[in-house]
Amino acid sequence: MHTLIQEMKNKFSGDDDFFALEETFMDSRVVLAGFNTLLDIATTKLGLQAYIEAAVLTGTARDELKAELGEVCDRSDSAKARLSLLTGKLLICFEDDGSCVIMEPTPKPLNRAIEPPINENVFQGSLNSFTEDIHANIGIVRKQLLTDNLRVGSYHIGTEETTKISLLYYEGRTNMEFIHKLVGQIQKNRSRQIENLQQLSKKIMGFPSWVLISKFSQTELPQEAANFLRKGRAVLFIDRLPIALVVPSLLWDVFFLDSDRNLPLPLMLFLRALRLIGAWLTVVLPGLYVALVSVNPEVLRIEMAISIAQTRVGIPYPAIIEMILMLFILELIIEASIRLPKNIGPTITMVGGIILGQAVVQAKLVSNLLIIILAATTISNSTIVGLQHSLSLRISKYVIVIMAAIYGVLGILEGLLLICAYVASLNTYGIPYIGFSSKKDEIKHG
Amino acid sequence: MKRTLKRGAGLSAVVGLLCALCGCWDNRDIDHRSLPVVMGVALHDDLYEVVLQIPETSQKGIDIRIISQTGKTINQAVDKISERMETSVDLLHLKLILVETEYAREGLTDSISSFMRARDISPKTIIAICDEKLDPFFDYVASSMTPKGTTLYDCFEKNAGWNPQMSLTRIWEVYRSIHSYTRDVAIPIIKSGRSGTIDYLGSALIKNGKMVDRISPEETLLFNSFNGQSAQGKIEVMDHASVLILRSSVRHRSKFAHGTPHLDVRITLKVSIVETKGSVTSKLVKKEVEEILAKRFDGMLHKVQTQESDILGLGQYFRKDIPRAQLRNWRTEYLPKLKVDFKINTIIQNDGNTKLT
Repeated sequence: MHTLIQEMKNKFSGDDDFFALEETFMDSRVVLAGFNTLLDIATTKLGLQAYIEAAVLTGTARDELKAELGEVCDRSDSAKARLSLLTGKLLICFEDDGSCVIMEPTPKPLNRAIEPPINENVFQGSLNSFTEDIHANIGIVRKQLLTDNLRVGSYHIGTEETTKISLLYYEGRTNMEFIHKLVGQIQKNRSRQIENLQQLSKKIMGFPSWVLISKFSQTELPQEAANFLRKGRAVLFIDRLPIALVVPSLLWDVFFLDSDRNLPLPLMLFLRALRLIGAWLTVVLPGLYVALVSVNPEVLRIEMAISIAQTRVGIPYPAIIEMILMLFILELIIEASIRLPKNIGPTITMVGGIILGQAVVQAKLVSNLLIIILAATTISNSTIVGLQHSLSLRISKYVIVIMAAIYGVLGILEGLLLICAYVASLNTYGIPYIGFSSKKDEIKHG
Repeated sequence: MKRTLKRGAGLSAVVGLLCALCGCWDNRDIDHRSLPVVMGVALHDDLYEVVLQIPETSQKGIDIRIISQTGKTINQAVDKISERMETSVDLLHLKLILVETEYAREGLTDSISSFMRARDISPKTIIAICDEKLDPFFDYVASSMTPKGTTLYDCFEKNAGWNPQMSLTRIWEVYRSIHSYTRDVAIPIIKSGRSGTIDYLGSALIKNGKMVDRISPEETLLFNSFNGQSAQGKIEVMDHASVLILRSSVRHRSKFAHGTPHLDVRITLKVSIVETKGSVTSKLVKKEVEEILAKRFDGMLHKVQTQESDILGLGQYFRKDIPRAQLRNWRTEYLPKLKVDFKINTIIQNDGNTKLT
């Protein structure tokens, strides 16, 4: 028997879905091998049959037929054969001369269709979103960017378990030094295995793991990804991950969406200003409450001070405990509503609404004003672009709350300073996080 | 690994020290502070009497709590009040300081300096003189101003109950008056009213922190417009008509010759006619407005010159002419000699919604 087939059989002996069928093509015995869970064997065979019949009719030689069927490979290249089988290819081994062909078969439909985005909402923009299949994703990007300057580099990472990643960039607009650095990192660490983005950023890219803000800006919208490419950023796709990772990530990704540009300029500026104010409010409001209520009430107007004091009559805890307690409950509600299936989710919203809306106030555990502050914080937290960014924002507000509880209004300033200093210290291979991406062909306003 | 440990230890030390050293346990929540809005100060037999008006929150709304104590100093009295209350007294929100007339006549210098020195009293606090004993006045406040804790202060608030014929003087202005050679202030005088709020009796002329004389509300209006405070909204009543001042502007020109200061004052008033009696012409209204204001100004100037209290800040225009050594004698030497040429130009901007007949 064919040595390569034998090797594969040994390798996949424990897999029931591995098959090796003996067939006869043009009077020579061949073995077809593959995984019947990945490819549709009946349709593939029909296709093969059509090829062979055509070859017989036109009198094509067998070597030409092999080349027509797919990539001819050496029998000694077992690693390649293994990878091809795992990625759903059909291996055709000719018994007599020992040669092999890796053919693209009819795949089993294992991918979902291209659907509207789930985690990001689009307002007046294209509704496609990325899917699990890396090829589909690259294809979608190519549809968005009809240019011969889009470059795609694909790499298989890992030895034991292989992950395919693709690097896309716009030649002529991208800083090539940065691309070389990225490619160099991927090449250097390609034998390391990655299972998630944490490992990708630490093991492959060499980024530190204790960061609050990811070095990858994530988007599942092809329009946004294409826009990032146009602006000279690189986009990474990982097979089976329906998001595009944009490197380097910049601060302004949090506030600027490309689909804003489909609106008139003043409206676009208004929306972006709203997001900026929203982010600012999220960070400052809880701290401001704590500072004004317990440390610096003199900042308030007297009427305001009296009405706040009135809402706090009979509340047992100091403002900071009250605030941390309610923020914690709020975080739990947000997390629970992400975790729960869609048909139970509304229950949490309702129960959470009852707790936050009325019961806590009636039980005199927290003040009315705190509920208003919390609601405003949560709402404004959601104005910014991207869930991962809103997470970093959610964490950073605690710094300000604690500083405010200690130093009052001055503490808010100190907390903001700390956050600004931290954000300013971030960089991706020397590209500062707070920098503007400015390439020569870039249009203005972000 | 070692570096991470070191960093972790450093970080926890910083956080630990932050918690241990910040002193944040001294922070009192807003509901545990009393925020007095009005402070009344009187001096009897070398003992200060301090009355605080504190808005108290309750389930129903806001009550006013009046607490008074005596002490050798104002601070001692406030401390005594704080001792006796379940919350701590926090003077940060003090908006109005009321001084008894007798104390104002004796001189406010000491207490104004201590208000300025105190960190918790804002220099922006308004000062007023109470033309009766503090206790009955505050009794009246407590009984008639309960639905809202800040009524008394609202009377002086520019976006609430302030009127152009009321002078509006802050503590820092009194302090400036005490230490300036060429400028004094007028402090509003109030008294408990009959139906609801307070009666405004005019302003006190202050000289070096002492009350020396009074001017009427009408004169105060002129004083306000002379000092550039908006005099808008005041209805000027005359024999034939009343007018609404829409805008006023003042121009001064000073001349100093042979030791005698001369000042030209031109006030331009834009008015609108509100009410007329019988048939009047716009000419007549103009003439009457100009006459009546000129008369009032002369009366006020006479008081200023005889009492040597420069509330109009007239000395400010001669600071460049008089050497500093002699400037200290402005009030006594130059102010009584000052010649003022006062002219009012009235422009009737409109006759209201109907024409003058």
